[in-house]
Amino acid sequence: MEFRLTTHAAGIVGLGLAALMAPVNAFCQNQATNYGPPATSYAVEAARYPDAASKPTPHTADGHPDLTGVWHHFFGGLVAKVGDNSFVVNFGQSVPRSTAGGPPAPKAMPDPEPEYKAQFMAKVKKLNDNQVKEDQTLHCGPPGVPRIGPPQEIVQTSKQVVFLYADSTGNYWRAIPMDGRGLSTNPELEDSYNGDSIGRWDGDTLVVDVTRLTDDSWLADNGFFHTNKLHVVERLRRVGDTIQYQMTADDPAVLAKPWIISRTLTLQPDTLDEAARCVDNDAGHYVNSEHHDNAR
Amino acid sequence: MRTTVRTKKRLALAAVVALASALPLVAHHAVSAEFDSGKVVTLKGVVSKVDWVNPHIFIYLDVKDENGKVTTWRLQSVPPMFMKGSGLTKEKLLDGTEATVTAYPAKDGTDAFGFVLKLAYPDGHFYNLGGGPAPAAPVPAQAPAK
Repeated sequence: MEFRLTTHAAGIVGLGLAALMAPVNAFCQNQATNYGPPATSYAVEAARYPDAASKPTPHTADGHPDLTGVWHHFFGGLVAKVGDNSFVVNFGQSVPRSTAGGPPAPKAMPDPEPEYKAQFMAKVKKLNDNQVKEDQTLHCGPPGVPRIGPPQEIVQTSKQVVFLYADSTGNYWRAIPMDGRGLSTNPELEDSYNGDSIGRWDGDTLVVDVTRLTDDSWLADNGFFHTNKLHVVERLRRVGDTIQYQMTADDPAVLAKPWIISRTLTLQPDTLDEAARCVDNDAGHYVNSEHHDNAR
Repeated sequence: MRTTVRTKKRLALAAVVALASALPLVAHHAVSAEFDSGKVVTLKGVVSKVDWVNPHIFIYLDVKDENGKVTTWRLQSVPPMFMKGSGLTKEKLLDGTEATVTAYPAKDGTDAFGFVLKLAYPDGHFYNLGGGPAPAAPVPAQAPAK
């Protein structure tokens, strides 16, 4: 309980520190309820490098913080080796681990949910109730921005910043121009899953504006639909070997207020591996609408 | 009628159907929307193919009946990312040894389609992919690692 209060006080930003400070026995208690995507993977990564935020912040030749690196990847650690040659999966019983067989990761702070105008709440519920059919990411469809989450790898040059993602539905990229151009006025630019992004520096924070997002995608799991008027702003600030990531989704047509989520990303030494091909073998075999967790 | 035919088929495949008791339903997946967690099918066969694909790995198990007829079961498993870093690879699953495999059968009546719970090998090693608590202490090696 003490650990839970600590994480509440520290907030998402403090997850890594909380992981550092939490005594080992806090890792071991209450495992069954400790499982909490989507942020758990970030907590696992933070727990691997608890002093990441206190490292020096590197800068590029043009003076901006250098965001290049692998910052997040979907973690394994849910299958553990036992004995010499046997393996056990722990999902549903335990939590992701910082290494295979290692200590469980601390519970993540749950994200706030987007708040809808009253007249759209029934639609959200209906979509959520039929999620196994309506959520296209369960059937290899792209999650799109912002559901895809923070960048998993960043490649930064002075002219553009590229965000790379290896998602369970496919591999995606976003090339974000940094040359001061405005949002595209090209009438032939169709709405898309990752939209049209432009970037700029606000002090030491990279700010990315995203528009032209298709209304085919959801903001998050659970039927959180949006319109194609959705405007996403991402803010990324490097602190040592971490990035404070904040995403604001503004869709005044349906949302009662902008939806904001935050993550702390931790620099990882691993390469970002290409995601395995997505094959929808489940379609047609669902006999009811029981929810299928599909958070990122 | 269809149930009878399917049951016969399963018997012919030397499948044993029993009530699930020990293995809790996996919470992460809506397994129950697709597979019947009230039944556990036991199969003996050789893994002939593994599709290392999202959103779920598929393990294909060749099961031979007493007349030598082979039926290939398609067994859904965990997402590839669950395996990352574990050391349990496609190659290990494809080692050619006959395994005793438990699975939840499909709810929609599709034959030879299930959710894999556990593969157990004659030398004692096993892959428990269907969930359930890990052993309290590491299981002692019962055979040399492959």
